[in-house]
Amino acid sequence: MTSLPQGLGFQTLFDATTDAMLLIDDSGHITHANLSAQQLLAYTEKELCGLAIDTVLPLQYRNHHRYYREDFYHKPEKRPISEGKALVALGHDGQKLSVDISLSPMKEQGQLYILLTLYVADHRHRTEEALRISEERLRLAKEAAGLGVYDFDPKHNILHCDERIGELWGADSDQVVTYEKFIASVHPEDFKARQAAVDRASDPTSNGVYHSEYRIINPKDGVERWITTVGRMHFEDGHAARLIGVVRDVTEQKMLERKLHEQRTETETLFTQQVAASTASAIAHELNQPLGAISAYSEVALHALQNKYIDTIKLKRALEGCVAQAQRAGKSLHELLAFLHKGELVSEKLDINDVVKEALDLTLSNGYGGFHPVLQLQPDMPQVLGNRIQVQKILVNLLTNSVEAMRGAGMPSTAITIQVRTNAEMNMAHVTVQDSGPGFDPEIVKHIFEPFFTTKSKGIGMGLSISRALIEANGGQLWIEPVTQTGATFHFTLPFAP
Amino acid sequence: MKSTDAIVFIVDDDPAIRDSLTLMLDQESIAVESFEDAESFLNACQPQHLGCAIIDIRMPIMDGMQLQEELSKRNILLPVIFLTGHGNIPMSVRAIKAGAVDFLTKPVTRDKLLASVRSAIRESENILTENSNHQNAQSRLADLTGRERDVVLLAIQGYPNKEIARHLGISHRTVEIHKSKIMHKTGAINLLDLARIAHEGNLSS
Repeated sequence: MTSLPQGLGFQTLFDATTDAMLLIDDSGHITHANLSAQQLLAYTEKELCGLAIDTVLPLQYRNHHRYYREDFYHKPEKRPISEGKALVALGHDGQKLSVDISLSPMKEQGQLYILLTLYVADHRHRTEEALRISEERLRLAKEAAGLGVYDFDPKHNILHCDERIGELWGADSDQVVTYEKFIASVHPEDFKARQAAVDRASDPTSNGVYHSEYRIINPKDGVERWITTVGRMHFEDGHAARLIGVVRDVTEQKMLERKLHEQRTETETLFTQQVAASTASAIAHELNQPLGAISAYSEVALHALQNKYIDTIKLKRALEGCVAQAQRAGKSLHELLAFLHKGELVSEKLDINDVVKEALDLTLSNGYGGFHPVLQLQPDMPQVLGNRIQVQKILVNLLTNSVEAMRGAGMPSTAITIQVRTNAEMNMAHVTVQDSGPGFDPEIVKHIFEPFFTTKSKGIGMGLSISRALIEANGGQLWIEPVTQTGATFHFTLPFAP
Repeated sequence: MKSTDAIVFIVDDDPAIRDSLTLMLDQESIAVESFEDAESFLNACQPQHLGCAIIDIRMPIMDGMQLQEELSKRNILLPVIFLTGHGNIPMSVRAIKAGAVDFLTKPVTRDKLLASVRSAIRESENILTENSNHQNAQSRLADLTGRERDVVLLAIQGYPNKEIARHLGISHRTVEIHKSKIMHKTGAINLLDLARIAHEGNLSS
């Protein structure tokens, strides 16, 4: 052991230590106090020296400490005394300080000294405790909400995620869900949409908000679940650096929504069918009455002519009856048509491209999502004149028909493409709706606009005939391309606003 | 009553239907009376009418089915032919079960209507005959005493007087006296005739 260099005496080293240290003699009085101890306890060196150690410990601990100290003097050995117990030191200004204390006995010239080191536990403990409580709170809240947390580095495709995500993604507890595994579980039909949402959030000009809904397929049991996620992309030097967010399993909610939607659609169909049936029944009655009379009158006339003696008065009455009843039937029909067109048509100037977009949104939100819409809208289209709701209805009807036809033919939603084109012709706006589905048989095309003609199991066959009537009421025309190579193609026109 | 006395009642709220059908039946020399609603028909209708009623199912106040019910409540045994614009099977089954003889859909052909009307008139004749026989027999049985009825019931089952006497605990002679009174009161010429009268008059113990 080499001796200390010149000038580095005991006091220098003692004062240089960051831990507060007090040297105590065997009577329990402080003989030396280092700078840290003076600062911690807010005493000057003068004040501390000669002070009984009991003074710097609060009253409630003094007796205990004295007893402990006496015990220690009998069996002096180096040990911490505050193991598991929080000791409190009392500063000159009355401030209580949580401390850990260790005692180191020293013998010098037959005299026992104890070096007492005070470690301030207070600040560190409090921070750790606060952190622990906060983490616990967060964990419980996460658990209650069923949230899974992820932290994704898009530059290096590194993903950190918690147990909940592991559970949802079907990983065993000792497995890590890597980015590759994470992506592999995303439903193929939702892959594009999810990626598009990530790309949008990664755009440095955006606010980085990420929101997406997609299905995942559990690789273990093949079960499909709906996931909703919200997060935020963090940027570094204008580059997407970190995407942090949460996922939540919304499968049950989705199922409920779907069920409700199906029920609503069913009720609506039922209602429409009911209305159609009552209307048809009313029309039938109005026409059948005069037909019944005409039939009877005609037979009376016919029978009268077969007789040798013709009762001209009765024959005349029968034929007059025929004429009157035929007139009555015609009148009933006109009245009926007038009644059906009673609702005044409010026309307004419309941007047909806007109406196309609205109709597309409506169709998607009506449970016909998942297909691939292709819009070819001619810019700077002059405004058309028409009833917004009716034109929307016609478009929704055409789009819905297409999706149903293609789904019916067993095409997966992602393969369903519907093109909507608008272009200006001589004096009309021309809208084309073309799908990639199975198209129509020439025999079906012949009847497609007839009322009550349908190829759907649940349809009532009024959609296209009503659509055609509505387009005509708006001053346009609706037709189908007779035979197309791929899919069905419908066209309609609307007049431009003057 | 002969079938030429039959009257066909047409109940339909549509004047053209009433008029054209009236003309059609008139050509066949069938008497027709037509009514624009159920109420005026009920006011004019009598239980002993020979003929039939052609009733439109769909009428504004009391419809055809209700009218049929009302007729049977009032014990009017007129056969009913229903006319309907759009007959459906459940409705026609209900009507036939309730006693309608036919269910015709408008427009109805002359042949169908006449066939239906003629068959209904024949049905009406049968009903009226049965009905008058019944009333006749009942009036003949009306004067019989309780004991005499007992004797009739046993006699028409073929029991000889001795058996009847034993059955009722009376003497053979008393049975003979009862029998002679019975034949006198009912005007039956023999036991077979008595059995017919008892049957038509719904005689029972």
